[in-house]
Amino acid sequence: MSAPSTNRQKSHSFQLLAPGVVWMILFLVAPIMMIVYVSFWTQTTFAINPTLTLDSWRNFFSSDAYVGALWTTIRLWLIVLTLTFLIGYPAALFVGLLVKSKTVATVLLVLCVIPFWTSFLIRVLAWRPMLGREGAINILLQKAGLIDSPIEVLLFSELSVIIGMTQIYVVFMVGPIAFMLGRIDRNIIEAARDLGAGFGRIFWKIIFPLSLPGVVVGAIFVSVMVLGEFATSGALSGRKVNLLGNIIVTQVGTLKWAMASVAGVVLTILLGIVVAGFLRIVDLKREI
Amino acid sequence: MESKIMKPVLAVYVGLFILFLYGPFIVLGIISFQQGPEGGPQFPIIEWSTYWYRHLFGMVPPSRIAPLPVGDALIRSLTLAFMTMVTATVLGVMAAQAFRKHFRGASVVFYLIVLGMMVPGVLTGLGISLLSNNVIGIDRNWWSTAFVAHVVYTFPFAFLVMLAILNRFDASVEEASWSLGVSPITTFRKVTFPLIFPGVLSAMLFAFTLSFDEFPRTLFASGRDQTLPLAIYGTFSVEIHPNIFAFGVLTTLFSFALLAVYGILMALSVRRAKRMAMQEDIA
Amino acid sequence: MTRSDPIFRLDGITRSYGPLVALDHIDFTAENNSYIALLGPSGSGKTSLLRVIAGFEKPDSGRIWFQGRDITDLPAHERGIGFVFQNFALFPHLTIFENIAFGLRNGPVKVTEAEITERVRANIEMVGLSGLEDRSPDQISGGQKQRVALARSLVMQPKLVLLDEPLGALDANLRERMQTELRAIRERLNVTFLHVTGSETEALAMGDKVAVLDQGRIIQYGTPDEIYDSPNSSDVALFLNRYNLFDGKLQNGTFRGSFGAVSVPAVRANERDVYAVRYDRTQIFDTETAALPGPALPARFLASEYLGSSIIFLFETADHKTVEVDHHLSFGEPREMTVGQDYILSWDPEQAIVFGKEMAR
Repeated sequence: MSAPSTNRQKSHSFQLLAPGVVWMILFLVAPIMMIVYVSFWTQTTFAINPTLTLDSWRNFFSSDAYVGALWTTIRLWLIVLTLTFLIGYPAALFVGLLVKSKTVATVLLVLCVIPFWTSFLIRVLAWRPMLGREGAINILLQKAGLIDSPIEVLLFSELSVIIGMTQIYVVFMVGPIAFMLGRIDRNIIEAARDLGAGFGRIFWKIIFPLSLPGVVVGAIFVSVMVLGEFATSGALSGRKVNLLGNIIVTQVGTLKWAMASVAGVVLTILLGIVVAGFLRIVDLKREI
Repeated sequence: MESKIMKPVLAVYVGLFILFLYGPFIVLGIISFQQGPEGGPQFPIIEWSTYWYRHLFGMVPPSRIAPLPVGDALIRSLTLAFMTMVTATVLGVMAAQAFRKHFRGASVVFYLIVLGMMVPGVLTGLGISLLSNNVIGIDRNWWSTAFVAHVVYTFPFAFLVMLAILNRFDASVEEASWSLGVSPITTFRKVTFPLIFPGVLSAMLFAFTLSFDEFPRTLFASGRDQTLPLAIYGTFSVEIHPNIFAFGVLTTLFSFALLAVYGILMALSVRRAKRMAMQEDIA
Repeated sequence: MTRSDPIFRLDGITRSYGPLVALDHIDFTAENNSYIALLGPSGSGKTSLLRVIAGFEKPDSGRIWFQGRDITDLPAHERGIGFVFQNFALFPHLTIFENIAFGLRNGPVKVTEAEITERVRANIEMVGLSGLEDRSPDQISGGQKQRVALARSLVMQPKLVLLDEPLGALDANLRERMQTELRAIRERLNVTFLHVTGSETEALAMGDKVAVLDQGRIIQYGTPDEIYDSPNSSDVALFLNRYNLFDGKLQNGTFRGSFGAVSVPAVRANERDVYAVRYDRTQIFDTETAALPGPALPARFLASEYLGSSIIFLFETADHKTVEVDHHLSFGEPREMTVGQDYILSWDPEQAIVFGKEMAR
């Protein structure tokens, strides 16, 4: 009896959702399916045709350059992830837990976010005069008398890529952790202190476990961004560091769509494993 | 007791941390005032000058260093960011509005939308260019393929912002409006929208700035005509000059201007609310 | 329409949320131009019923008739039924004037600016808010908000206004004043109020008729006197909060309870055997008293509570049941009693109401 009215409500929700859902299916799901599909296409010099083959996959895994890029991606990801965590956690601890005043905490967080208002590429580029032979760091170190000649490996090396990525992505680690730390009930910590627990014990038994969901969210953010990177490595390594993203860019540049797609699928699988792995550590739905 | 030592140590650490975040930016600002056209993008500063700023606007005699090809790119980027902002915000408001009622498959739709911000740009970009190039056979353009990729990226942000706002929205004012004989559409226009406007503003800001600065998706999905980040990327491969740093300083200032506009609009709506709250206290 | 014509009629209205049945086949007919109080404990489905009538929610089954028209499938904004929310739900971004003018301005019928101004002013005056037109909803008190919500609804000249616990958010003082005002306003306007409340005093004081709702069903509908004097089930008697209810066993016209066996002249059908005596019909005697009006119930005196026009005495029986005695001060000064001492409670068996399973069969 009330079927028509319920249907009208349902179709109302449907109308509101349809444009967004269709958009995401057409321009996100379909393109990703397309990457998987094209990775099995046949590549000729400047074109591809939809004859299915495993050639590109074979080429990818038999080439040192491509497999090397996969390992470099994984290695850099692990290093940057560790660094963002190690550098970010103490900062988050201060902002989220130790600062008593909410205003100061907000000001500090805003300070962390402000650099994002500069173009991403210019932020990457700004590391060049910082790290170069005649860069700020070398000059400062030389003036301080710590070194005699400039350190060469600072720029156009894996190190410069790691420094650049860490600086750009560390904030994504600080934010979620500080948020989770901010939600900890201070009374629990006071109670533990009253019971005679030292800071180390309180940290490992209370603070760290409670901040873990923040760490996982931060790690997912950082991982997704680092694994898909190609601009920072391109700009700061002088093409010495090739990530999966760089492979995709160069392959597309030379119209090797099939090979770019293989790299794309490998990247997608890698991402899937990483994100799924993090989500196993902490049940985010329950925590948030 | 340990935390008494802990706090000052961490305070110093946070100071260094912020220096780490700002260091490159400070250096960039300094070098943008390098002497020109001979001075390069490194220390030492030969002589302080505004040469590279004038260079950007073509106010210096021609030299071997070509002006940055940013004029048209800037207009394209602004247009694209505006188009993206409007589309993403409209889609985000609509989807979040639908999420106010429980429906089957809600979590699938939720993850589908959020996927847009989680999938790396390089993959979205590659997929969209594959689709347009090899399947549909249309040219890639900043206003077509790059635009849809930008919306895929920014729509989830707008959606999440609106979801957070609507979660706290008291639906009884809408019901009150209906009971006065006002249709749901007019109710949305006259009641719901004015009340969620601060959220809409935030969603717009998110979408605009993310799109304006978007690089990986645009790299793949736009055609010959470059947007601003692409124009900057183009200078990477050739020798870089301090003009790009001067440009960086200017775009940052532009961002702050945008942020200020947002802040003022926000403050106006918050101040209204505050003023009322204060008078409430008095009464 | 005359007063006896129905303004609205509910026909087997059922609404459930998952396994929870909020409204269970409700049949109900409401007279035009009357004040109807809908009394029910929380969780009885009273707000659901109001929301279904207003059109905010759809019934799973059943029909709703309003002014002789089936409105079951009509959306809320096409029903022409006013609604006053417990939290007032004023539009926070509009002034008091614009809040009240909202329906006139944005409704389907074009109203001239002059008419809007006139009608809004008239309503503002009626609810006593003149001078506050340009305030914003956050600048006025709870009672004033309530009046704005009412005026906003009434300016549309509805024939039926639903009020969802409209006095719930007000303090006790204001509540009594608003009770009188609501009744006065309704009488002037030829409109039916359906007022939902969880307070039995409010329901009995305000309604021309009172409907008692329990577990999704209307279990009694009548004038306040009818409800008060002869609740038709032990549940109604319980909600009224005016009866001492004793469990026991009814057999062959005799009720056996903690006060012994009493012969019962009349029995009302009920799910359980319950013996009900009004607080103000229960009398207090010393333990030695020989001449009692009826059964004897020994009880210990616990405390007394002064209510202005009467005093409530609280007793505890041997089986730890609290029994209340209401002594109206117009019947003279109450007797002196000592806390912790035993007394005998008794009553005229003719004034007791007995509910029994036997009748239900």
